[in-house]
Amino acid sequence: MANLALLKPELALSALALGLLAADLLLPAARKRALYVLAILACGIALALTGSALLRPAPLAGVGALWAVDPFSLFLKAVVLVSAVLALLLTMDDASIPDAEAGSFSALLLLSVAGMMFLVSATDLLLIFVSLELVSIASFILAGYERRNPKSNEGALKYFIFGAFSSAVMAYGISLFYGATGATTLVAAKPQAALALTGLLFILVGFGFKAAIAPMHFWVPDAYEGAPTPVTAFLSVAPKLAAMGALARLLVALIPASSVDLTLLLSLLCGLTMTVGNLVALFQRNIKRLLAYSSIAQAGTIMMGIVTGDAMGVQGILIYSFVYVAMNIGAFAVANALGVERASHGAGHGGDPYDLDSFNGLAERSLPAALAMTFFLLSLAGIPPLAGFIGKFYLIGSAVGTHHYGLAVVAVLNSVIAVYYYMSVAYRMFFTPAKKGALAPTFGPCVYTTAVLALAVTLFFGVFPHRLAVWAQFSAKFLP
Amino acid sequence: MELPILSLITFIPLVGALVVLCLPKDNRRAIEAVALAAAAVPFLLTAWLYFAFDRTTAAMQFVERHAWISTTAVSIDYYLGVDGLSAPLVILTTLMSLIALIASLGIKERFKEYCFWFLILEVGMLGVFESLDFFLFYVFWEITLVPMYFLIGIWGGPQKEYAAIKFFLYTLAGSVFMLLGILAMYFKAEPHTFDMLALMKIHGGLSFRFQVLAFLAFYFGFAIKVPAFPFHTWLPLAHVEAPTPVSVILAAVLLKMGVYGIMRVNYPMLPLGFEWFLPFLVLIAVVNIVYGAHCAMAQNDMKKMVAYSSINHMGYCLLAIAGVSATGFSGAAFQMVNHGIITGALFLLVGVIYDRAHTRDIGAFGGLAAKVPVYAGLMSLSCFASLGLPGMAGFVSEFLCFLGAFPRWKIHTAVSVLGIIITAAFFLRMLEKVFLGPLNKKWEGLPDMNLRELITIAPLALLMIALGIWPRWCLDMMNATMVDLAGLFR
Repeated sequence: MANLALLKPELALSALALGLLAADLLLPAARKRALYVLAILACGIALALTGSALLRPAPLAGVGALWAVDPFSLFLKAVVLVSAVLALLLTMDDASIPDAEAGSFSALLLLSVAGMMFLVSATDLLLIFVSLELVSIASFILAGYERRNPKSNEGALKYFIFGAFSSAVMAYGISLFYGATGATTLVAAKPQAALALTGLLFILVGFGFKAAIAPMHFWVPDAYEGAPTPVTAFLSVAPKLAAMGALARLLVALIPASSVDLTLLLSLLCGLTMTVGNLVALFQRNIKRLLAYSSIAQAGTIMMGIVTGDAMGVQGILIYSFVYVAMNIGAFAVANALGVERASHGAGHGGDPYDLDSFNGLAERSLPAALAMTFFLLSLAGIPPLAGFIGKFYLIGSAVGTHHYGLAVVAVLNSVIAVYYYMSVAYRMFFTPAKKGALAPTFGPCVYTTAVLALAVTLFFGVFPHRLAVWAQFSAKFLP
Repeated sequence: MELPILSLITFIPLVGALVVLCLPKDNRRAIEAVALAAAAVPFLLTAWLYFAFDRTTAAMQFVERHAWISTTAVSIDYYLGVDGLSAPLVILTTLMSLIALIASLGIKERFKEYCFWFLILEVGMLGVFESLDFFLFYVFWEITLVPMYFLIGIWGGPQKEYAAIKFFLYTLAGSVFMLLGILAMYFKAEPHTFDMLALMKIHGGLSFRFQVLAFLAFYFGFAIKVPAFPFHTWLPLAHVEAPTPVSVILAAVLLKMGVYGIMRVNYPMLPLGFEWFLPFLVLIAVVNIVYGAHCAMAQNDMKKMVAYSSINHMGYCLLAIAGVSATGFSGAAFQMVNHGIITGALFLLVGVIYDRAHTRDIGAFGGLAAKVPVYAGLMSLSCFASLGLPGMAGFVSEFLCFLGAFPRWKIHTAVSVLGIIITAAFFLRMLEKVFLGPLNKKWEGLPDMNLRELITIAPLALLMIALGIWPRWCLDMMNATMVDLAGLFR
C-alpha cells in the first residue's frame, strides 16, 4: 500500500474529476460556470500534492513494478497540471463551449490529465497502454466538443481514427514484446531478440502518434483547427509533453542506447519532425493551423533530448517542456481573444475568424497585445533573451556535446525557417495597417490572466534562467 | 563597492525603453525626453570611461562578473569587460545612438514604438561589445536582430518588408552557426566554460580539423554581419530601405559587430583555422574593396552608393586583419571607428537632401553648392574623409590598414590600393553632379540645413578632422591591446 500512496495526486485528481460529474448533476444550469473554478481547484490540489512530493522525495523502497514516482515524472506532472489550469482559464472566457456542459467538459479534461500523470510514471507496458488510452479517449471527445461545427466533427473523427489505428498497432507491439521477453514490465528489460525489437518499434508508433512525430502527424492540423481554441491550446501542449516524457523514460532510462541502439532512427525521426512541421507551417493562413504545425516542429525539438539522452538533454526536455507550456498557451490566448472578437463581429462575412488577417494592424489597435504575441512567437522560435531560447540552448547543446552534429545543424536551420512564419504574424501585427474601424481587442479577464502569466514566465525565465535550470537539474533523475 | 559602469551603460537604454512603453503615445514630448535621456546618459558615462580607461594595459577593464546560471550541466556567467578593442566601439555605439536618436526626432508615425525598439537595439549592440561570456555574447547578438527587423519594416522605404525579413533571416542564419561554434568550443574546453578569455587559451589542445570547422562556423556568422563577399547582398537593400537614423546605426555600429567578432573570436581562439583561412580572407578583402567600390560607382541612388562604399570600407578592415600585425590590427580597429563616424555622417547627409527633395537620384541635382553652401561643405568634407584625403581621419586608418597588410600580402595590397582610386572617383563624381555645374531650376527653393541636422552632423565632422590631425586620441586607447593581440602566436 505504500506504493499506492505515491499516487496520491493522480488518485485525488481522478476522484475530483468524478466528483465534478456528480456536482454537474446537482448544480442548476445558471451556475455551472462554478464547475470550472472547482476544476481549477482540483488541479491546484493535485499540483500541491505533486509539489510536496517533489520537495520531499519519498523513500525509493516504495516503488512498484508498474510505476516509478521520481523527480522526472513529478516535474512533468506539475507541468501538465499547469497547462490544464491555463486551458481551463481560457475556457472560462470562450463561448464555444456552452456553460451547460461545463461539468462534463472539465471532468473529461481532468481525466485526460490523470491519464497523462499515470503515463509519465509508467514503467510497465500495460500501464502505458491504459493511460495512453485514457488520454486519447478523453482528447477525442474534447476535440469534437463544438458539436455544431463541422470542422470540429471532422477533426475529432480523424483524430479518433488515427488514434484507434495507432492504439491497435501499439497493442500488437506490446504482444510481440511480451512474446519475446515473457513480461510486460520494462524495468531491467533486455529486448535482445528481433521479435522484441519489432515490438518496440510498433510501440514507438503509438507514442509517435500521441506526440505527433512525423510521419505520424497527419491528424494534427485538422484536429487542432476544429477543436475549440482552449482545447487546441491544451492538446498542443499537455499530451505531447506527457508522451515525450514517457518516451524519454522508455528510451533514456529503461531501454537506453547501450542495450538497444535506436539512436539513428530516432534522430532521423527527430530531424524529419522539425523539418516537416516548419516547412508546412510556412504555407498556413489560419493561426490555429500555423500553431499546430509549429507544435509538431516543437515536439521534434524536444525529441532531441531523447536522442542524446545525456544529462543536459534530459534537463533540456524539462526546461523546454515548462517553457513551452507558457509560450504556446500564451500564443493561443492572444489568438483566442482575436478570434472570439472577430467571430462576434461576423468574421468578415462568414470568413474564418482565425485567419491570419485577424492580426492585421494589431500593434496600432493594442500595442501590449501585439508585443506579447511577438514575444511568445520569438520565444517559440528560440530567440534570446526569451525563455524558449534557454530550452533550445540546452537541447542543441546536448546534441553538440554528444556529437550529433548533423542533428544540431538541422535544428538550427529549422529555427531560421521557423522565424520566417512566426514573423509573418508579426508582419501582420506591425506592418499591415488595420482595417478601418477595427477596434482594440477585448481580453476577457481569464484570458488576460493567462496571457499575463504566460508572458511573465516567458520573459522572467529568459532573463533569469538560473532557478529553472536548478529545478531541471534536480528533477532530471530517473528511478528504476 | 565599485560602480558597475558597464552594466549602467548597457541597461540604462533598457530602462528608458520600458519607461517609453508605459507612456501614453500622444505625449510625444515626454517620449522624446525619456528616449533622449536614455541615450544621453550612457554617452556621458562612456565619455567618462574614455578618460578613466587605462591605456597602458591589454587586460580587460571595468570587469563585472556574476554567476548567471550555475548548475553541474551548464555554468554561465554574467561577465562584462572592455579592452582596447571594445572600448572605442562602445564609445562609438553610444555616440552614434545618441546622434541617430536626435536625427530620429523627425519621425512622425508611431514614435513611441520607434523609441522602444531603438533603445532595445542600443542595449543589444553595447552588450555585444562588452560581453566576455560566450552565452551572453550570443544573447546580445540576437537581441540586435529583432528591433532592427521592426525598425526597417515599419519605418522603412517602399520595399521595407522584404528588406526587413531578408536582414533578419540572413543574419539569423549566420548567427545560428555561430551558436554551434560556441557550443563546440564549450565542450572542447576542460572544464567546460563559456568564458571567452579562458577559451582563448585552449587552442593548443584543438585539432586542426576542429579549428577549421569551428572557424568556418564563426566566420559564417561574422562575415554576414561585416558583410564580406559573397554574403553582402542583404546590405544594400537593408541600408536603402531603412529610415535614415537606422541606416546610420546599421552602418556605424552593426557592421562593426562582424569585424569585432573576427578579431575577438576567430583570430585569438582558433589560430590554426585562422592561418588556414588567411589566403581566402585576404582574397575576400580584396574583392570587398575593389568590387564594392565598383558597385558604388555604378549607383545613381546616393544612399545605395554610400551603402556599397561601406562594403568597400569593411574590406580595408578585413585586409588589415589578414596582415596579422599590430599595425594592421590597429588599422582595422581605427578604421571601424572612422567608418562609423564618416559613413554615419554620410547617411545623415543623404537623409537631409532626401527629406527636402524626396529623391536621392544623383542625376536629379546640379549646382547645389551655391544654393545650400553649408550642406555642400559638410557633404564634401565627409566625402573627402571617406575617400581617404590626408589630414582627415579616414586617411590615417586606411594608411594603417595598407601598412599592416603590405609585408605579408604585397600583391593583394597593391590591388587594393586601386580601390582607393575608385572610391575617390565615385565620391568626386557624386559631388560634381550634385553640387557643381548649372543649378537645376527645380531646386530653386531648397532650404539649407536646419539646426537639428547641424547638431547631428557637426560633431561627426569635427571628429573626422580631429582624429585626422591627432589620431592618437583614439589609437592610444587601442595600442596596448593590439600589440598584445599581434603577439599572441609569435
